Amino acid sequence: MKTPSLGEFEELVLLMVGALHDEAYGVAVLENLEGHLKKKLNISAVHVALKRMEDKGLVRSRFGGITEDRGGRRKKYYVMTALGKRALDHQYALRNTIYSLIPDISFSK
Amino acid sequence: MKPPKRALQFLRWFCREDYLEEIEGDLIEVFDKQSASSPRAARWGFIWSVCKYLRPQFMRAFTFNVHQNARAMFRHNLTITYRNFLKYKSSFFINLIGLSSGLACTMLIYLWVSDELKVDHLHAAGDRLVEVMECQKDNGQIAVQSGTPGILAETMAQELPEIAYATTVSWTDKYTLSIDERNVQGVGVYAGKDYFYIFSFPLLQGDPQKVLTDKKSIVLSDEMAMRLFGTADNVLGKTVTWQHEKLFNVSGVFKKIPAQSTQQFDFLLTTEEMKEAHPWTQQWTNNAPSTFVVLRDGATVEAFSAKITNFVTDHGGEKGTTVFATPYSRLYLHGRFVNGVEAGGRIEYVRMFSIIAFFILLIACINFMNLSTARASRRIKEIGTKKAMGASRRALIIQYLSESMLMAMLSMACAFLLVMLLLPQFNLITGKTLTMPADAATLLSLAGLAVFAGWVAGSYPALYLSGFNPVAILKGQLQGSWSELWIRRGLVVFQFVCSVVLIVSVWVVYEQMQYTQTKNLGYNKDHLLYFEGQGKVIQNLETVIATVKNFPGVTDASSIGHSLMEFGAGSSTSSIQWEGKDPDLVVEMENVRVNYGMTEMLEVQLLAGRHYSPRFGTEDTNIIFNEAAIAAMGMQDPIGKTVTLWGKPRTIVGVVKDFHFRSFHEKVKPLFFNLAPEGTFMVMMKVEAGKEADVIARLEKFHKEYNPGFLLSYRFLDQDYQAQYVAEQRVATLSKYFAGLAILISSLGLLGLAAFTAERRLKEIGIRKIHGATNVSVVFLLMKDFTRMVLVAIVISFPISYVISKQWLDGFAYKISLQWWFFVSAGLAALMVAWFTVTLQTWRTARVSPVRTLRSE
Repeated sequence: MKTPSLGEFEELVLLMVGALHDEAYGVAVLENLEGHLKKKLNISAVHVALKRMEDKGLVRSRFGGITEDRGGRRKKYYVMTALGKRALDHQYALRNTIYSLIPDISFSK
Repeated sequence: MKPPKRALQFLRWFCREDYLEEIEGDLIEVFDKQSASSPRAARWGFIWSVCKYLRPQFMRAFTFNVHQNARAMFRHNLTITYRNFLKYKSSFFINLIGLSSGLACTMLIYLWVSDELKVDHLHAAGDRLVEVMECQKDNGQIAVQSGTPGILAETMAQELPEIAYATTVSWTDKYTLSIDERNVQGVGVYAGKDYFYIFSFPLLQGDPQKVLTDKKSIVLSDEMAMRLFGTADNVLGKTVTWQHEKLFNVSGVFKKIPAQSTQQFDFLLTTEEMKEAHPWTQQWTNNAPSTFVVLRDGATVEAFSAKITNFVTDHGGEKGTTVFATPYSRLYLHGRFVNGVEAGGRIEYVRMFSIIAFFILLIACINFMNLSTARASRRIKEIGTKKAMGASRRALIIQYLSESMLMAMLSMACAFLLVMLLLPQFNLITGKTLTMPADAATLLSLAGLAVFAGWVAGSYPALYLSGFNPVAILKGQLQGSWSELWIRRGLVVFQFVCSVVLIVSVWVVYEQMQYTQTKNLGYNKDHLLYFEGQGKVIQNLETVIATVKNFPGVTDASSIGHSLMEFGAGSSTSSIQWEGKDPDLVVEMENVRVNYGMTEMLEVQLLAGRHYSPRFGTEDTNIIFNEAAIAAMGMQDPIGKTVTLWGKPRTIVGVVKDFHFRSFHEKVKPLFFNLAPEGTFMVMMKVEAGKEADVIARLEKFHKEYNPGFLLSYRFLDQDYQAQYVAEQRVATLSKYFAGLAILISSLGLLGLAAFTAERRLKEIGIRKIHGATNVSVVFLLMKDFTRMVLVAIVISFPISYVISKQWLDGFAYKISLQWWFFVSAGLAALMVAWFTVTLQTWRTARVSPVRTLRSE
């Protein structure tokens, strides 16, 4: 089966969903990404990526319980699917393969 | 800190439902975190983020059948409305009666007003059709009259290039037309040859260009032709005898003049014929016929009017006479001139009745509003439950509005039936032939009226009821607010102000009418029977008078030039000269031609001198003036002095006291009696009271034998007198009905409110009664509030009604003075009605046994 393509930002979000395992919802992903990337992101960008990946089957989602916070709105938690994991592996392998092709000489100086 | 409401609403509006909760939650969380440090930035950030979601991925599907249950809701609303009607029958009937009578009255007035606005608008030339009118300086005042020289139209058409067509239209008169043995009386007019180009009365037969060209032509109405020939077809060229004297050929037949024209006649003769029969009309100093002109395209009425100012004087007319043109279609409604300036006319009545209609409808709507808001407490649980179940405010507003719309539609149906029923009576009062039009436009505007009434009546309760807080309602904490009470009171006060103003107006109109009927006119108009002499009667006037005098039941007889009231053409002159007269002064005097004994029969009072009498030999060099004429000439001790009339000297032999020969709208004008038996065609006789029928029968028999071929047309002088006040009588009758209606609707509203208040205070009343209150004291308690409201209304209405009545009375030169007790009585009447209504209701409540009201809690 052909693995779905992953955009750069999508890949980051997917990685973060994987990293936060079972605690990944919109704002958590956003804040962690902001921490690592050292720049401001808009929550809408995270949602766009999450929804697109859900359509592609890379992540699954479920609703959390009702809390007093967030105006009574439930959180939606995302977890990576097997397909998602494969897509990440594929991407990682691809990058590694190409990376290993870089000759040493150019940077040794 | 809450996120911006609008942005959130917007998000909810466009966002997919399955994404919404997550997105909203995340947005709020981000917002909350950020607003801790910088609320402003958080708000803007929130809005910006919402905007960023505006992309196809997040949008919901917009379909337009959102309200799948609209029909179900509609049915539900109908059911609720129906059950409410059933449950509160009295409110329902009060609303139905109030609204439907209000609507019926508005509809009737609408019909009348739209008919009034259409009068004289039938002609194709529209605003280019103008009437040329004359202004005359008369004792410093400018008097406007439609009478102009009979030669004016012709001369203008020749000399002024702006004119497309011009015609003279004479006064109307009754004439007898005959064919063989058949005699028919009809109203005839002399008119110029362009008549049918100027006035768009359709010709059924004949060529509009030719019908009035031949001097011996006559144009008949189809109705007249039917009466004469038994058919309106193929009558052209037939010969008709006029007054058993002259022969005319039928040259055309026109369709009967519609009621919406002020010119009404049965046949037309030519101006050529008028010149021969009435040569005096061809002089520039005599004014009688009206002049009508159609201007060419491009010519404006103002410019034309300015150009012709001195047209009559330039051709040798009276000094100081000016002419002007005014659109013919305007004259019917704007026909009154004060000192040469247009000053209203019938348009005032049109306005007045429109306002009355509006207010009556408003009063009816107010009832509905009042009762609905008052009843709100009964429906509070319904509203609370609905709101708690998630009904939006809009849904409630729609429910209440549709309820009131339904009520209005029902009332409209009733009103429609009512109008159908009342229209004949209404026509009788207004002297019109109105019919209920059934075209789409009218029905649509009626439906519009109903919707409007429903909207006005329902909007306040709908907005008010739907605004309740459901929690407060269901906890039973809702209290009637002060503002609500004040609005309800204000509306009652307003209703009663309208009612009192109407009552006062009716009263004043009635008193003034009484005044015109009972005031000593300075002559005796009663039991004076007269008929117009025709044919042989004119030739043998003295014989006829002598014969009539001998009828049993006739005490006196004489003859006069015209009925005193019917002052039309040729009855006034300004050619009177006296010693020391300022040459620039023009004094227009009424010229009353009389026979011997006429002034005595009229019982005009002599101030000095004597009446005309054959004992003094020839009297044609003598003259009798009234006081006003003497005053206008500035004479002292006038008897024996000489004036010049029509170039001949006349000696003053008598002065009579001023008498009201015209309506009370005008001051008594200068007048002289001119003894001229040869010019007096009206045979007048004094009839003993109660013998009128005998005398008329005898007169008819005599006339038939003596003057065969002519039809007798007789009248009583007091009929003519009444005719002067037709418009006022109509106003009096109509405003009587309207005032009655207004007070009926207002008291209906009061009845509903009183019932409601009594019901709300049942427990209180029960407790009071247990403590020893009597029925009467309870009634007083309940009436106090209403009495206060009505008293306030009465106080407010006084100045308003004063101004209105004063304005109306100002149209009379002789009038009653406004008495304080008109106002007080009207106020008392309103108070009585209010008390009666309220007592009716409260007495029932007060008598209820306290055990019944206090048993349950």
